Amino acid sequence: MVAPINLHPEAALSLTLAVISSSSTPLLLLNEELRVVAASASFCRDFGIDPASISGQELAKVGAGEWAAPQLMSLLEATASGAAEIEAYEMDLNRQGEPVCHLVIRAHKLDYSDKNQVLLVMAVADMTQAHADEKFKDDLVRQKDILLREVQHRVANSLQIIASVLMQSARKVQSEETRGHLHDAHHRVMSIAAVQKQLAASTLGEVELAPYLVQLCKSLSASMVHDHKQLSIEVEVDESVIDADVSVSLGLIVTELVINALKHAFPDHRHGTINVAYHSQGPNWTLSVSDDGMGMPENMEDAKPGLGTNIVEALAKRLEAKVAISNERPGTAVSVAHRQISVVDADVVLETA
Amino acid sequence: MLAQRFSAKLENAMSPSRPVVLVVEDHVLIRQGALDIVNSAGFEALEAQSADAAIMILESRTDIRLVFTDVEMPGTMDGLKLVHYIRDRWPPVHLIVASGKAILAESQLPAGAKFFFKPYDETSIIEMMTKMLAEPPRPQH
Repeated sequence: MVAPINLHPEAALSLTLAVISSSSTPLLLLNEELRVVAASASFCRDFGIDPASISGQELAKVGAGEWAAPQLMSLLEATASGAAEIEAYEMDLNRQGEPVCHLVIRAHKLDYSDKNQVLLVMAVADMTQAHADEKFKDDLVRQKDILLREVQHRVANSLQIIASVLMQSARKVQSEETRGHLHDAHHRVMSIAAVQKQLAASTLGEVELAPYLVQLCKSLSASMVHDHKQLSIEVEVDESVIDADVSVSLGLIVTELVINALKHAFPDHRHGTINVAYHSQGPNWTLSVSDDGMGMPENMEDAKPGLGTNIVEALAKRLEAKVAISNERPGTAVSVAHRQISVVDADVVLETA
Repeated sequence: MLAQRFSAKLENAMSPSRPVVLVVEDHVLIRQGALDIVNSAGFEALEAQSADAAIMILESRTDIRLVFTDVEMPGTMDGLKLVHYIRDRWPPVHLIVASGKAILAESQLPAGAKFFFKPYDETSIIEMMTKMLAEPPRPQH
């Protein structure tokens, strides 16, 4: 809304002309016939118009006639008659030998005491640079997206090559023991791959733990359990969403502990269940893998620490968590717990081992 | 290796009823792994390094019942175009697609085709192949 100016018409006009000519925003003052009454120096400079010849010229003939867009003309006529106001009319200005300018034009009829003379102010904003900046930013975002997809794709393909080679070797070797090691290596690769898969579906580098561990255990069970009536793996995970890096470590710990239970807890086709659980409270969390199998050997020295145990210890240390093993009669429970703040409530103290 | 292949071929010749699976994959190590999977599932495996080569093989014989293909491959056609082409030209052939690209959804595949994210779980692939090949051939449109 423009405040009415209560000056003598001539004084008002002269003030308007002074304001227009000194404006840093390109401005035109037009009369009812859409002839230029005054133009700002900035208008002449930005759009290559000779300031000496512009006064009195029809807007449609300014420059080489590049302003004569029919839609702009009719909008300005409607504004002059008081039927409309131009809030933001976008147009491309094509000048010979110059790059196209993306303009946003505003125009309104001046409201002042001389009702006989109609004057319009037309302001021109050149959005070319702003549009270019925005396009540049959009392009960057799109490029980043494409690159990220490409990287994820390459990682997936590389993991596939590793997995394929390990399985081919496992099929070829004669030694049962070596075959076992190659299968374990394959499980470790697949465990990391499962995180990649969850990551590809997320945008923030965070992973929903529950679907990840469910999928991981499903694939371990599919490849290691021959009789699903004999053995089953249950997964109980809260709704935690965690950093991808941490989830890779948790996944590898689960992989090792589940492989270990499958290998040692259920000899001679013993029936049973392996339970994988993860619960968090604030920054504290506990991951546990327990089974109802034959339990640990009486003589702990019989249990040789293998690569699996080393992996669990090393990853737990990395996560600043403590590993506790307990004989559950029947079965064994291994818990990996991270305590950042001590919990007073007895119900949630899980370090009972 | 050669002797193994030869004996595998002899065995095929003696039991012509083993379903034939065509593996399409440009990476040699992944392709060998996939051929291994097909063989260990008890099917006869054929291999192609590109979609174009796969089509030539499909044109040359009538016993291929399942195509297991990668998506990103060099040549005039990728795996996605390949499976649509196969579904149009040889409707009864079962289709399994594997890719490392997460954006691929089964909605982009012909009806009945199954998608696996790479690296795939071999057991799941074998289960899917066995399930598909146990079904009667897909009805003609």
